[in-house]
Amino acid sequence: MTLIADRLNRISPSLTIAMTAKARALKAAGRDVISLSAGEPDFDTPRNIKDAAIAAIERGETKYTDVAGTLALRQAVCEKFRRDHGIDYTPEEILVATGGKQVIFDALVATINPGDEAIIPAPCWVSYPDIVSLAEGTPVIVQCGQNTGFKMTAEQLEAAITPKTKWLIFNNPCNPTGAAYNAAELKPLTEVLMRHPHVWVFTDDIYEKLAYDGFRPATVLEVEPRLKDRTVTMNGCSKAYAMTGWRIGFAGGPLPLIKAMDKLQSQSTSNACSIAQAAAVEALTGPQDSIEEMRRVYQRRRDLVVEMLNQAPGIRCHKPEGAFYVFPDMRGCIGKTTAGGRKIETDEDFTLALLEEQGVATVHGAAFLSPGHFRISYATSDDLLQEACTRIQAFCAGMR
Amino acid sequence: MPALAARLKDVSISASVVMTMKGRELAAKGIKVISLASGEPDFPTPAHAIEAAHKAALAGDTKYPPQDGTRALKEAVQRKFRRDNNLDYALDEIMVANGGKQCIFNAFMATIDPGDEVVIPSPYWISYADMAKVAGGRPVPVTCPQNNGFKLRPEDLEAAITPRTKWVLLNFPNNPTGAACSRAEMAAIAEVLKKHPHLWVMTDDMYEHLVYDGFEFCTIAEVAPELKERTLTVNGASKTYAMTGWRVGFCGGPKDLIKAMVNMQGQATSGISTISQAAAAAALDGPQDLVAERAAIYKQRRDLVVAMLNEAPGLSCHKPEGAFYVFPNIAGCLGKTSKGGRRIETDTDFALALLEEKHVAAVQGAAYGMSPYLRISYATDTESLREACARIQEFCRELS
Repeated sequence: MTLIADRLNRISPSLTIAMTAKARALKAAGRDVISLSAGEPDFDTPRNIKDAAIAAIERGETKYTDVAGTLALRQAVCEKFRRDHGIDYTPEEILVATGGKQVIFDALVATINPGDEAIIPAPCWVSYPDIVSLAEGTPVIVQCGQNTGFKMTAEQLEAAITPKTKWLIFNNPCNPTGAAYNAAELKPLTEVLMRHPHVWVFTDDIYEKLAYDGFRPATVLEVEPRLKDRTVTMNGCSKAYAMTGWRIGFAGGPLPLIKAMDKLQSQSTSNACSIAQAAAVEALTGPQDSIEEMRRVYQRRRDLVVEMLNQAPGIRCHKPEGAFYVFPDMRGCIGKTTAGGRKIETDEDFTLALLEEQGVATVHGAAFLSPGHFRISYATSDDLLQEACTRIQAFCAGMR
Repeated sequence: MPALAARLKDVSISASVVMTMKGRELAAKGIKVISLASGEPDFPTPAHAIEAAHKAALAGDTKYPPQDGTRALKEAVQRKFRRDNNLDYALDEIMVANGGKQCIFNAFMATIDPGDEVVIPSPYWISYADMAKVAGGRPVPVTCPQNNGFKLRPEDLEAAITPRTKWVLLNFPNNPTGAACSRAEMAAIAEVLKKHPHLWVMTDDMYEHLVYDGFEFCTIAEVAPELKERTLTVNGASKTYAMTGWRVGFCGGPKDLIKAMVNMQGQATSGISTISQAAAAAALDGPQDLVAERAAIYKQRRDLVVAMLNEAPGLSCHKPEGAFYVFPNIAGCLGKTSKGGRRIETDTDFALALLEEKHVAAVQGAAYGMSPYLRISYATDTESLREACARIQEFCRELS
C-alpha cells in the first residue's frame, strides 16, 4: 500500500519551488537579491491591534473559543459587512477561520462531490484550483487576458457554466493581476448568475481595501442582493491590516452552508487562535486610518512600477485598479537571449534569468495559470522598487 | 443550499461541544451550572509564554510563517522530543499545526484513500473517527474494556488488523478514560504492530505530562524504535501548558509523511499564528516546574472525584493513570427514574437529566463509542468539583 493518498497527487506540484530555492541559494551565497515575490504587506501590524492582542492575553483569553469564532469577532465582522457593503449577516451566518485560505478550504471541501465543477477566472491564485482538485472537483479555468484588463466577461462566464457547475470562485481585486471590478462591471456577471440558480458564488474580497485612483471594488451581494442565499462573502485581516502572520480570515454566508463549514472545521483545526481573534476585533472596530495611509503608499508604488516597467523593452504592463501586484506581459522578450547568454523561451526562463543575472525575484505567470507574464509584488519600499525596476530595465535592454 | 459533499454526511458535531453549549444556555438563564464537559485545563498559560508572545507582537513577528512552522519552534520541538521522549527527529521530520487536531487531520487527508481502515482503541475522542471519515476512510473501533483498565489488549488489536489497515491510532493517556499504558503494555502492543509492516502508527500523546502516582509515560516509537520509520508522534502545547486557545500542535514522523502533511496543510490553512508559535517555543524551552506542580493538583482532584463518585449509588468509577478525565460506569442507574421524572434508559438520558435537574454538565459515554458511561473532566477548581460530585451523588440517590 502506498503511503500518500490519491487526493494529494491531484494537487499540482508547486511551480515556484525552483524559483524560491534559487533565490534562497543566491542570498545564502551573499548575493544582493531584491524580492518582489511575496504576497504580503511590508508594513507592520498597527500598534493598536498588537495592544489589543496583548490585553486579551492578560485577560486570560487563552482558552478554546467557539469553532466558528468568538461572538465578539463575529459581531465585529457583521458590523464590517454592514458598514462597508450594506450586507446584513447575523453572527450565526459568520465563520472565522485560520486565514482566508481555510475559509475557501472549508467551503469547497464541505460541498464538492467528485466531478462537480468550479469556474475560476485566470490568471488566478493557484490555491483555488488546487483546493477544488483536493475536494475531487474539476476546476474550469476561464482565461481573461490583458485586452479585457484581465477581467472575465459575461459571455465567458455564460459559456463556462454547465449543469455540473457548483461554484464560481471570484477574486476581486485579483491576485496576481490587481484587476478589480466595480459595481457596473460586476452587474453583467450577476445577471448571468441570476439565470443559473444552481451556481454558487464564492467571492474572495481580501484585497478590497487596496484600490486606487478612487476606484471602488464592489462585492457580489451589494450588486445583487438576491444572490445572498447562494453566496459566500470572504474577507480577512491579512492584507487590509498587515496581519498575515496572525492568520485570521472570515466569511458570511447562508446558515446551512456556514454550519457545514463549521462542522468540517471542528474536525480539522477547531477555532482560529483566540489571541489573533481579539486582535482582529480591534482591527475591524478600532481606528481605520492606517488603511488609508498604507493605501496611499501602495498607489504611489504602483504608479512608479508600472511606469518604469513600461520603459523596459519587450514588457507591456497594464495599470491595475487594486491589490499590490502588477502582472506584466513579457512575451516581447521571448526568443531573445540575455546578456548572460540565457535563451528566453518561457516566462519561467525569464524570471529565472532575471534572478540569476540581476538578483530580482519575481513569480512567473504559469504559476498563476497564465504563461507569458510575471507577477511583481510592490509591497516593498520605494527605494528597493526603484532599484529593482532599474535592474529589470537593464535586463531587458541587454537582450538581443 | 448546495447538496453537501458526501464526505461530510456521517460526520458529527462534537458531543462535548453540544453539552458545553447546553450548559452555557442554562447559565445564560442565570442558573449556576458546573461544567465538567470541557476538555481544557482551567489554569492560565505560563507567564514566560505570555511574555514571549508580547515580545513577538511588538517585534513585528506578524508576517506569514513557513507552512511547517517557524524554525525557532521546530527546534524547540526537536529538543522536547529528545528531552522527554528520547526521540531524535530532524527538522524536516517535524511540523507545526493549528492544534494537535490539525496534525491528525493532515495525516489522514494526506494518506487515506477510500476504504482504508483506521483502527481506533475505544472509547475514543470521536474526532479521530470523524476525521478518518472526512478523508474517506473507515474507522474500526477496538474495545478497551473497563476490566482491563480501559487499555488495549494485544489480541484485540491483532484481530482488528486487516490488509486494508492503514493506521493504528494510540492515545494513552486516553481521552475519555484517563487510561495510560506502562512500558510493558506498550511493548506488547508494539509486538503486534511489528508483525504488520503495511500499517502506520499514530500516537496522540497530548496528555503525556498528566500522569499520577509516579506512573511513567512512554511513547511507542521510544519503546519500539524499529517502528519509528512508520510512526507519527503527535503532541502539542494545549494540555501541558494550558494553551488551548493558542492552537499549537506539533508532530514528528518520517520525512516523506511530514512533507505530504505540510503539502496538505498548505492547501487548508498555511502556517499557524506567529504569535502563538513564539509563545509555544517559550513554553517548551522554559522552566518546566509548573507542569509537575499542576500535575500534583490534578492528582488530588482525580482522587477526590473518584472517591466521591464511587459513593454514588449505581456508579462505579475506575481510577485512571492520567489525563484529566474519569469515565464512571453508570449501568447501575439504567432503568430508573430521576426525581424530576426523567426515565434513564441510556447514558445520554443520564447526562441530560443531570444537567437539567442538578445543573452539572458532563458528556455521555456514547459520544466516545462506549456506553453506559459518563466522561467527567476534572480540569476545574476543587470546590466546584466537590460541589458537582455532591450533586451527582444526590442525583443518583434520588433515582427510583
